[in-house]
Amino acid sequence: MPEDVARSSTVGAAEAAPTVPSESGLDLINLTKDFPGGTIAVDDVNLHVDHGEYVVLLGPSGCGKTTTLRMIGGHEIPSGGDIVLDGQSLVDLPPHRRPTTTVFQHFALFPHRSVLDNVAFGLKMERVPREERRRRAMEALEMVGLTELSQRKPRALSGGQQQRVALARVLVTKPKALLLDEPLGDLDRLLQLRMRVELRNLQRQLGLMFIHVTHNQEEALSMADRIVVMNEARIQQVADPLTIATKPATELVARFMGDNNIIRGKIVERVGDRVVVVDEHGVKASVMAPGDTRKVGDTTLVSIRAVAVRIDEGGTPNGVNTAECEIVFVEFLGDLVKLHLAVGGERRLAKVAGDQYPTLRGREGERVRIAWEEEDVQLLSD
Amino acid sequence: MSSSSPTEPQIDVAVLEEAATIEDSKAAERALGEVQARRGGGGWVTLAWGLPGFVWLAFYLVAPLVFIILVSFWTRTDTGFDRVWTFSNYGDLLHPFSLDNSYWKNMLTSFETSVIAVAACLVFGFPVAYFLALKVQKLQNQIALFIIALAPFWTSFLTRSVAWAYPLMGREGALNQFLLKLHIVNEPVSAFGFSTLSVRLAMIQLYILFMVTPLFFLLGQVDRYALEAARDLGGNWFQTFREVILPQTMPGIVIGSIFIFVLTMGEYGTVTVIGQGAVSSVGTYIQQQVLGIQYPQGAASAVLLVIALLLGVFVITRFANLREEL
Repeated sequence: MPEDVARSSTVGAAEAAPTVPSESGLDLINLTKDFPGGTIAVDDVNLHVDHGEYVVLLGPSGCGKTTTLRMIGGHEIPSGGDIVLDGQSLVDLPPHRRPTTTVFQHFALFPHRSVLDNVAFGLKMERVPREERRRRAMEALEMVGLTELSQRKPRALSGGQQQRVALARVLVTKPKALLLDEPLGDLDRLLQLRMRVELRNLQRQLGLMFIHVTHNQEEALSMADRIVVMNEARIQQVADPLTIATKPATELVARFMGDNNIIRGKIVERVGDRVVVVDEHGVKASVMAPGDTRKVGDTTLVSIRAVAVRIDEGGTPNGVNTAECEIVFVEFLGDLVKLHLAVGGERRLAKVAGDQYPTLRGREGERVRIAWEEEDVQLLSD
Repeated sequence: MSSSSPTEPQIDVAVLEEAATIEDSKAAERALGEVQARRGGGGWVTLAWGLPGFVWLAFYLVAPLVFIILVSFWTRTDTGFDRVWTFSNYGDLLHPFSLDNSYWKNMLTSFETSVIAVAACLVFGFPVAYFLALKVQKLQNQIALFIIALAPFWTSFLTRSVAWAYPLMGREGALNQFLLKLHIVNEPVSAFGFSTLSVRLAMIQLYILFMVTPLFFLLGQVDRYALEAARDLGGNWFQTFREVILPQTMPGIVIGSIFIFVLTMGEYGTVTVIGQGAVSSVGTYIQQQVLGIQYPQGAASAVLLVIALLLGVFVITRFANLREEL
């Protein structure tokens, strides 16, 4: 596990303490937004983002991630809390006074202006002289590889090209933080994959703070320095992609990231930091849980990643970290095989390498023994 | 099996490049499709469909226009005209080239009325359209308010004109009574009676919808995210309006202006009902000549009016070509 995990260690929502604004970077302090009618869109969010960091706000639709981004950009007014950039509060500034710019969903290009005029718009607003703004707009277009198309209207561009114009248009104003609202949502899949790489490279080159909103787990994992998982207006977990993928802190994160086996059971044994949990079907899982205060007899949840589950035909029955299941469905996905399993009435999932498909094909209805390692088990907080 | 197994598809650069090329060629295809669509080639079906319209236009619009042009070059008599070619109808209208000539005087007054009407409809109509299209959030409310705004279209022209002329604006009308009660004026304002002011006020109210309607539809198509983007990129409200909203609504302004200019310049109904003979316009001038069986002169006046209207429309359309300057 990389060293930087320590810095961006797992923080559950309950533990997030109000931050003291720092001199450098962006701080969201007790940020709250409730809409008329009683809907709370964002509830007491605390977050610090460093300059040069690529942070992804991830969550299902309606979780408050877009509202959070819009508050940072000044397009929604917070109901409470503060937004501080480099020690200065942004809350009272209108969007055009903030050192942030947004790449909007669906690009939001100006249809009546050429590509060059779109990119030069921000500079025109700053009253930069014509020659200089043309030159700087061309530089920005060069950065995204669109100089030949500078005279076209947005309508005559492909989705990927429009996306790059939108990027050039915000970069030309040299913002301190770039806010991206579902920036890849309108692109087809192959183009999405390509733009992920381009966006991330661009961010590294510029060393700028990027805050990117998405509901796509894979996108978040592949692009972020740090992922902020949100659900129902609150932050669930803030961590680097590896931690989010392998060590979900809460049940919601484990479910949202997908392909996690979540086992509800009772703690039956506790020796030092090692806890053994057993579910109602007798499946036992052990986990190292330093600092956890739950006692023997408490009900708890553990999560095991589907990719950490292996087939273990010769294993010992009734052991810890093993289970006997029925194969419900064998799903071949090329690189891997997704085994849909059942223990008692509960669905379990194992992902094994694709080359095992010949030995698994057609075995629906048979029983199979699975096993996993203790370090792949994660104790979830409520 | 270790947790580092490849759950993600490998990103193959060659495949991605190809995808981008396909995307680009799609855009090119789209552009090509538009060009082809513009070239048309609809063929016989479209022609057959359009034929009744052509016939109708030819019979009711082109033919009368041709007759008017012909009559305007014929010699007038006490009972109508002889088919003897002459330029004297135009000569009489154009010759005494002074403002004493009632035709030119009427032409200028009508032109002034039209310019005022266009300007007032734009100034007062834009905020209405802006509010309806961009500030009213719910579509149902938008439609309901728009239908209410359309009231002048679905109440009879004459009803409103009569209400204007006597009970509302007249010397003893509600407006004057109101001002007297409040002691804003000491005696009734006669300009609210059968006057040019009354006629112009009525016209603005009658024709403002020709401005609100196209503006409402064009403003409704303005991407709200693009407006947020403009604000985000440093534009204040006025800059956003000038740089993003106004250029996109220019076609609506031009269409509305053409409608209002053409309709008010030739107006005759409103002038007659509201002006009650105290106000004249090109329209009433032509009508008087027709009533006085001065067909050739009336025809020549009408032809000159059409030319003036065409010139006006030509000037207005020049605004649509205003290039967005970087």
